[in-house]
Amino acid sequence: MLFNSLHFVVFFFVVLALNQGLRRWPAAQKSMLLAASYYFYGQWSWAYLGIILWSTLLDYAIGLGLVRVRHPRRLLLVSLATNLGLLAFFKYANFLIANWNGVADALAPAWHVTPMDILLPVGISFYTFQSLSYVIDVYRGTSRPRRNLLDYALFVAFFPQLEAGPIVRDYEFFAELDGDRRVDAARMQEALVLIAFGYAKKMVFADNLARFADPVFDAPSQQGFWDTLLAVYAFAFQIYCDFSGYTDIAIGCALLLGFRYPQNFNYPYVAETLQDFWRRWHMSLSRWLRDYLYIPLGGSRHGPARTYFALMLTMLLGGLWHGASWNFVIWGGLHGAWLAFERAVLMRWTVWRSEARAARMLRWLVTFQIVCLAWIFFRSRTFADSRAVFANLWHGSAVAFDPAKHGGIALLLMALLAAHLAGGLRGTKTRLMQAGSAAYAGALAAIVLLVILFTPHASVPFIYFQF
Amino acid sequence: MRRFLKLIASPILLVLLVEGLFQAGIWEALAKPESHAGASVQRKRALGDASYARIDYVTLGSSRPEYGIDHEQLAALAAQHGTVHANLSMPGSHWMTIRVLTEWLARHHPEIRGGVIALAVQDFLYTGNGAYELGIVYPFRTPADAGEMAAHVPFDRNDPATWGLYSALFEYREDVQDFVRAPFARLHSLGWWRTRSASETLRANAHETHDMCAFGLDSLAACDRVAASTDERADDLRRQCQQLRGFARDRADLAALARQSPVPAFMQQTRDTVRALLRGLRWPKPPVVVLMPVPRVWTSEVSPVGLHHWALEVLRPLVEDGTIRLIDATELLDDGGRTDCTSFFDFYHQNDAGRARLMAKILPEIESLMHAGPTGPSHRP
Repeated sequence: MLFNSLHFVVFFFVVLALNQGLRRWPAAQKSMLLAASYYFYGQWSWAYLGIILWSTLLDYAIGLGLVRVRHPRRLLLVSLATNLGLLAFFKYANFLIANWNGVADALAPAWHVTPMDILLPVGISFYTFQSLSYVIDVYRGTSRPRRNLLDYALFVAFFPQLEAGPIVRDYEFFAELDGDRRVDAARMQEALVLIAFGYAKKMVFADNLARFADPVFDAPSQQGFWDTLLAVYAFAFQIYCDFSGYTDIAIGCALLLGFRYPQNFNYPYVAETLQDFWRRWHMSLSRWLRDYLYIPLGGSRHGPARTYFALMLTMLLGGLWHGASWNFVIWGGLHGAWLAFERAVLMRWTVWRSEARAARMLRWLVTFQIVCLAWIFFRSRTFADSRAVFANLWHGSAVAFDPAKHGGIALLLMALLAAHLAGGLRGTKTRLMQAGSAAYAGALAAIVLLVILFTPHASVPFIYFQF
Repeated sequence: MRRFLKLIASPILLVLLVEGLFQAGIWEALAKPESHAGASVQRKRALGDASYARIDYVTLGSSRPEYGIDHEQLAALAAQHGTVHANLSMPGSHWMTIRVLTEWLARHHPEIRGGVIALAVQDFLYTGNGAYELGIVYPFRTPADAGEMAAHVPFDRNDPATWGLYSALFEYREDVQDFVRAPFARLHSLGWWRTRSASETLRANAHETHDMCAFGLDSLAACDRVAASTDERADDLRRQCQQLRGFARDRADLAALARQSPVPAFMQQTRDTVRALLRGLRWPKPPVVVLMPVPRVWTSEVSPVGLHHWALEVLRPLVEDGTIRLIDATELLDDGGRTDCTSFFDFYHQNDAGRARLMAKILPEIESLMHAGPTGPSHRP
């Protein structure tokens, strides 16, 4: 079930009403939320719901066992092997086979392996990471095992975050589940502003930008300089609007049901360094990678060489988490390399570190361009396509700007960038969450009108569903 | 829940206010003149001109009469009799347009005495012509018409194009998007259309001088010739050929279906809707229904077998009881079993020569049916 479908809107209103009606019976309320979450996922695939159930039961049992057995490490390994094994099978099996076949073609064609017919379960990367974090935290002793299976099952499968995050920590979720989940008017206004922004970002901006960016990335060798350059920036905003739009809807829906989730995006294109970018982009994943990968790899505690190694490996694996393709690895590698370069060289340069306005603008400009250029690898289907995009930018004629063809999209992108910078610096969304009733109603009505008038005919699935 | 409903009520009310403004026609001033809605807006604006304060006769129909009937001649003929004739035929018009337009005319021009309703036999297959027809009727319809319009374009929640039945915001969505994409081009185009006089809009002919002799019009073999052609019009013709071949693939035997008792539901619906619509007209003089000429490829290979007969069957009781006068020109441009290729510029529409040939035949008939005799048949209430 997609957030941007009529089915979801009806479903959510029913769940909201039931959640309100069952307020006095917490167990019934939680059961209803769990049933609704399974129904939500089942609309995509009832069969793959089995993987969620399996993962839930296993990690629930392991969580309880970790505090009772003599060798908890073994249980941790079972959980890691099972969860990562499932993820590896569904997500990376064919990638490994394709790479194996590449080697086999060169050495011994008889070793060729037929690719498997595997459908990637929606949300597996998200709920696997969420479930793993619980087991690791219980193992580390930073979390206590949850004895109530219903609570734990809801933590894994709660529908607002199930398909594309945010990746919530167990202690955050259970604090909300156990706390006072009454929703006052201020919370409701906050939630409705988030949901409205989310729908507008996805349906008005992301889906329309896709109509410009997709043809360019689908056939990059046939494009000129300006088409390519504008498509790169269009994709930068498309993926931001798509993913942060999804997150806004997810967080808003959770808030209406009484769960406050951590922020997942904080105007990432305002960032002045790449490190700052990762504190603002997909924050729940960055936090997960930091806590369960970067720090265990040594973090910054063992000297510069180890730090850069940890940084690089974390970003490479973070890239691979997004999808089974070398392009994602290159994307992660580019980010890792620039993060290391920032740390090793740029941040030691006084001019670069200066708080003068010109220096800050230069830092922002460089960071924004690095992020956009890295998106080329993220969006291109193959490495050859990425090369074609770079070739267009390198060899294309910059004088061939056609105002009729490029003017509109260029203006739209400039307006989006201005709105993004203004939002980041002035907190437009937060202001609206606290605005008086007239400003709130006017803004929300304007957003609804934008959605009605500018949503393209065909609805486009959220990009992060494929991860 | 009450608090929640209160919070969403105010934005929803504001959205409904804007919907109301769109329903009231606020966007009509900016509607794309070249679009279906825009064509209707131009005609509606022209009908508001002082020179058309009184209208006696109208021509209603699709693009076939738009090209195939000489509107200047009809207007001149009306003027000879001291009356005013306005052409309201528009590309894409079908039964829903005729229904909504005649109701609008009954409200704004109750003085109308009669008119020409010109369609082709293909229009007797279904009551609807696709959701795009909503755009044509929008400037003329009222919210109360939605129920009747749904009989022609059924509401489908999976097809946002049909949401225009109930929401003007949805109806004008694409027009607004187009405006935002190129606002200056739209304003320029609107400016040009505003310079056109009411009479240019309501009586001028559309001119087309190309013919189909390079391709023929008698069979789908014409489409093979189109496919191989480098003619500048070939793209349009290829698109039409694609449609024609699609229709030919699904060609039904309407004659056999018409022999069933009762006839299939879609035929019943068309028959009943057309009859009710024509009987519902309150014009003092019976409308003159003209079945426009159709190239032979349609009757021989594309249209359902027996469609011409079915169209006549639908109209027969109306002719017999004097509700309508019928001029059947379906095969008028066929000479010895072959369609006159000099009379059409594509597979649907006549050119200037075809129009002249048709008018030579039907103008005297129209004159005698519309302009002679007493006003109003005795059977009319």
